[in-house]
Amino acid sequence: MENMQNTKSSRTLNPLKFRAAVFDNMLSEDTGYSNYSYWRSTIRTFFKNKAVLALVILISLIIIMSFVYPLVSPVDPNKVSLFPLEWNNRPNSEHWFGTDTLGRDIWTRAWYGVRNSFLLALCIAISDVGIGMIVGAIWGYNKKLDPIMIEIYNVITNIPSTVYLVLLAYIMNTSYLTLFISMASRGWIVEARFFRNRILSIRDSEYNVASRCLGTPMRRIATKNIIPHIISLIIMEAALCIPYSIGSEVFLGFVGVGLPVDAITLGNIVNQGRASFTLHPYQMLLPTIILCIITVAFYVIGNKFADASDPRNHV
Amino acid sequence: MKRILAILLVLAMALSVAACQEKPVTGENQDPAASQQPEDVANAAQQIIEGKEFERVYKTYFTSSYASFNYYSTAYATVREIIANCIDGLVEPNTYGVYVPSLAESWKSNEDQTVWTFKIREGLKWVDHTGAETEYEVTAQDFVDGIRYIGDPLNGAYSLRVIRNLISGLYDYYWTLDDIDSGTITDQKREDVVASFDEMVGVKAVDEYTVEYTLENSAPYFLSLIESSMLMLPVEYDYAVALGDDFAVDNEHMLYCGAYYVSAFERDKAITLTANPNYWDKENITIDTIEYQMIPDGTTSLEMFKRGEIDYASVEAEAYLSLQGTEWEDNLLPTSHSFSTNYLWLDFAGENPEFNKFINNENFRKALMYSLNRESLASLREPVDPSRILRNTINAEGAIYDSNGVDYTDYSPLKEIKETDYNQPELAKQYMEAAIKELCDENGNIIGCEAGTVDYLPVCSFDVDGKLPVTICYVGTDDESEIIMAQLFKAMIEESIGAEYIDFQIQAYSGWTYGTVADPLNYDIYFDSLSTGYADPSGILTRMTTDGAENVGKYDVPEYDALIEKALNAATFEERLQYFAEAEAYLCSNGFVIPFISSLRGYYMSYSVPYTSPLTLYGNTKYKGTLVMSEPLTKAEFETLDAAYEIERAEALSAK
Amino acid sequence: MGKYILKRTLNSLITVVIVFVSVFMLLRLMPLSGYFPQEMLKETDEATRMSYLRNQGLLDHPVVQLGRFVANLFQGDLGRSLTVYPKVPISTLLAEKIPITAAFGFSSMLLGIVLGLSLGLLMVRFKDRWGDRLGTGYILIVRAIPNLIYLFFIQVWVSLWLDLPMVFDKDIPSSWILPVICLALGSIAWYALWLRRFMVDEENRDYVKFALVKGLPKKQVWKRHVFKNAIIPLVIYLPSDLLFIISGSLVIESLYSIPGTGGLLTTAIKSQDNNLVQVIVLMYAILSVIGVFLGDLLVAAVDPRIKLTEEA
Repeated sequence: MENMQNTKSSRTLNPLKFRAAVFDNMLSEDTGYSNYSYWRSTIRTFFKNKAVLALVILISLIIIMSFVYPLVSPVDPNKVSLFPLEWNNRPNSEHWFGTDTLGRDIWTRAWYGVRNSFLLALCIAISDVGIGMIVGAIWGYNKKLDPIMIEIYNVITNIPSTVYLVLLAYIMNTSYLTLFISMASRGWIVEARFFRNRILSIRDSEYNVASRCLGTPMRRIATKNIIPHIISLIIMEAALCIPYSIGSEVFLGFVGVGLPVDAITLGNIVNQGRASFTLHPYQMLLPTIILCIITVAFYVIGNKFADASDPRNHV
Repeated sequence: MKRILAILLVLAMALSVAACQEKPVTGENQDPAASQQPEDVANAAQQIIEGKEFERVYKTYFTSSYASFNYYSTAYATVREIIANCIDGLVEPNTYGVYVPSLAESWKSNEDQTVWTFKIREGLKWVDHTGAETEYEVTAQDFVDGIRYIGDPLNGAYSLRVIRNLISGLYDYYWTLDDIDSGTITDQKREDVVASFDEMVGVKAVDEYTVEYTLENSAPYFLSLIESSMLMLPVEYDYAVALGDDFAVDNEHMLYCGAYYVSAFERDKAITLTANPNYWDKENITIDTIEYQMIPDGTTSLEMFKRGEIDYASVEAEAYLSLQGTEWEDNLLPTSHSFSTNYLWLDFAGENPEFNKFINNENFRKALMYSLNRESLASLREPVDPSRILRNTINAEGAIYDSNGVDYTDYSPLKEIKETDYNQPELAKQYMEAAIKELCDENGNIIGCEAGTVDYLPVCSFDVDGKLPVTICYVGTDDESEIIMAQLFKAMIEESIGAEYIDFQIQAYSGWTYGTVADPLNYDIYFDSLSTGYADPSGILTRMTTDGAENVGKYDVPEYDALIEKALNAATFEERLQYFAEAEAYLCSNGFVIPFISSLRGYYMSYSVPYTSPLTLYGNTKYKGTLVMSEPLTKAEFETLDAAYEIERAEALSAK
Repeated sequence: MGKYILKRTLNSLITVVIVFVSVFMLLRLMPLSGYFPQEMLKETDEATRMSYLRNQGLLDHPVVQLGRFVANLFQGDLGRSLTVYPKVPISTLLAEKIPITAAFGFSSMLLGIVLGLSLGLLMVRFKDRWGDRLGTGYILIVRAIPNLIYLFFIQVWVSLWLDLPMVFDKDIPSSWILPVICLALGSIAWYALWLRRFMVDEENRDYVKFALVKGLPKKQVWKRHVFKNAIIPLVIYLPSDLLFIISGSLVIESLYSIPGTGGLLTTAIKSQDNNLVQVIVLMYAILSVIGVFLGDLLVAAVDPRIKLTEEA
């Protein structure tokens, strides 16, 4: 810092050391060009961290495993044993992670569960964050919409979700679609408000005011200036959505809009194991570990990706 | 004469209870006391008791929040238990299950047991929530007023049916009032009808201390009904009516006349019962304070028992296995009995065309009946000796006895059903093949059955193709243990009958929608339970007739109805039981309902000495006389005490 | 400003009315059989049930029921519970339950804010070092392990290690410790996570770099600018959080047997206790619009860049 001040203070240039450059048309074109690409830089920065690389590989393996295993495994995850002796077996050579209350193989069920939960969570994340982001961007940017949107937000969030979930359970079958609808029914507006609040503080930034003065259309400002700016938030919200949706599945089951009892999801398995958690802790082991890995991985990946997506971190 | 008969009946009943009580499991060393002399057993038991120190406080828990203390309109087990200790009825069972005087000093009935007269103890006062005597005295009028209170539809009494049909005139009184309320009857005034209660209804105060009940039918079981039904309890009418809806919403808005009063009340948290200082039988009170606290979670209660914070904990099957090999292994005691039976309801008029065709076929029903592996199902609740909770009949064994002491379930044809082993997969398959022969063509198409969509919403909807396999929609609650049971049903039915013939689908609903499931027939098979409420089969069986309230499956059984009719009009109690037994056997053997196990849930641990409380078979636990030790009871002690108790009881009964 | 407040109040009132009326009507779409608990339904015949419903006024047209409710409301009568606590006045219920839940909620919120913000600051202060890793580890544990599992673990094992009571007892002060900590666990993580995130975002802003370059002490920049700006997005939720501490936690209250409001609404809806549901919904709706309003005011007050008083 002291150096800088020194430089600042020496105002006169030594004419022996410096002379005026001649204007070169070719060279001026040259400096105007840079092969910087936003996404390429983001990805390069992202993968520079070896831990992140490892996590990405791990999570990919888990996901690939969960899709491949059910296709090749001969074990029926819903195979119930009629013999009490085969219930609640501890881990052994035949059942690597033991059997549950009715003698079903926990290893097999866990992979089916990962697959189903992951797909479901992915859909929810896409719908919540996707819709939420778009609505939030428009909402935050456009002042005229604000009172109407706040009204919609207030009404939607103030009707306890249980009320309409109970009614929903009343008119719809238990299925993945119902579960998706109930989970996605309100998340988007919550996300939208979240983004709106962020955008509120961004929209009056000097560069946006300047941009508006220059006559840039609103849509362009929203898509070019604001959304890239909050991309880190988007990624993080999406990543957090996945563990959250696994958790809320349990609550929805409690209200009655759950899945068919034969459906296997991580939420389902964890919930079943919870009842006998103190008695047979091993039953919870595998599903909880996988659940933790998924959550942690998405959290870390989300965070690191958010960092990497910030152009100021691109060196 | 009548009194002698009543005592005889009760005596015989208690005797057979002793004989038929479900035997606890003892592992390899079966009944250590069996080979010993009665005196030795009694001495051993005596020694156990003498070596103990007793506490004057009993700490227990309840699992779900309870509503008000209004005993006429509560369905909550905890409230019923509290009321049983706080409001005395006319009679109560002693530790051997023999009815002894409570608020009534003596009683008698007429020849055909339709008129019962009770002489009330004199000079008893109601007490308030501080234990102080009030101006109100317990009189015969309070018992009349109890019936007056429940007879008014505006008071919304719960589980009214049995009493309403039994006490003469009550049925008409109730419905006349209701018709006036709904505007169906306009020529009568409500006040006039209310004023005519004493003439219309068969309950009256003969004098200040004598109450007389006149019944529609002969009811030898009347005393057991008094024990089991909250509706027969007395009330201080002016007090209750003045409070209106506030009556018994908490401990301060009610009066007590039992061994305890509710001295402290914290909603959804804690209740404290304190011994009533003005109680008529206070010498027999052994616990001064009973502290209830709410512990919703089973693991928490077990853990708190281990830490000595509560004196009782129930131990379910899974917890039982986890406690084996620990220091608590010796404290696990088998629960003795449950009069509640788990059974499968079948839907005879549902929208599923495939199931509809088959369920009306006797062979198919038998296939279902023989396909259940009841021992496996029982293992979910009783891992050590599952066979002790199997039950093939609707009414429980050990609940009902005739005047000769013969168990109702030992009446032929019920006896045969009780003794049949229904776990016969081969037979199930044969019956199924017979059914298919009758109902399907060679290509597996169900004759006369169209493909279509079955609408069981809000529970589920699904498509059927009119071909084999038969699609069955099983509906149960989303309770974790019931889902497990449902999955076991699926496995055993598909395994024994064959997945090529049956496609068993499980649908879970969340508890609140019971009314949307059972009533509008939104199911094919449904799991439920029924309980023998008093010493007569009519409690359950009259509800199961073709137009009975409990016939939610809408079967049509004229033969059964006729037998029930005969039973109700039978001249003697034995004849009555015989007809009831035939009726029940008809329902069970033809597979109209499929009972399979009792609701008994395994084991418990406790600090209290067994058999020191009144033997309330039909009613709720009473703590009068219960001895609470300073250390938990062990299994060995329990077995000795159990053996001694049976000998004692036999002696006590024969001496009487 | 006065005009703005008036306008917002009016808007809020409309919201409350819309919410309340739609919930009230939605509740009346539920089947009549839902008014009976399972035991009661089995024990009663159709005629007895109808007579009960008629006496409770449940067979009247929904609009009539709504009118009756509003009329009673203006007389200060909230009605009586139907199925969950039959005949108990709802005002009594709420008066019993809200103070307990609020006490727990307030203590845990305080704990959550203090510990959460401290943890967040710690994480930023030692970014990419031990403090950050510690905090991230904590946040990950709380978020990744299903809460039922760790709550259970705390109740059974931690209570044993520290010799604390397993269930709440109002006479034993130490029985407050575990439930309050359990209630705060999530919010600690939440505050720490977002404070860190927002502060890191702010830290990279040009004005911060400029201020540092200008020679302002780092401490002052952080305290005056980074922290202040980073906390704004968190502040907006503060009033709502404060008001909604009365809604309680279903799981924790049930584990520690706290007789509060947690799960009251869910239980009421599941048991179709419409009288209770509509009162709670009304209460929550009012609290919620107040909370949002206060949140906006608070943000406008602390963040000079945001003005909500302009013509909306």
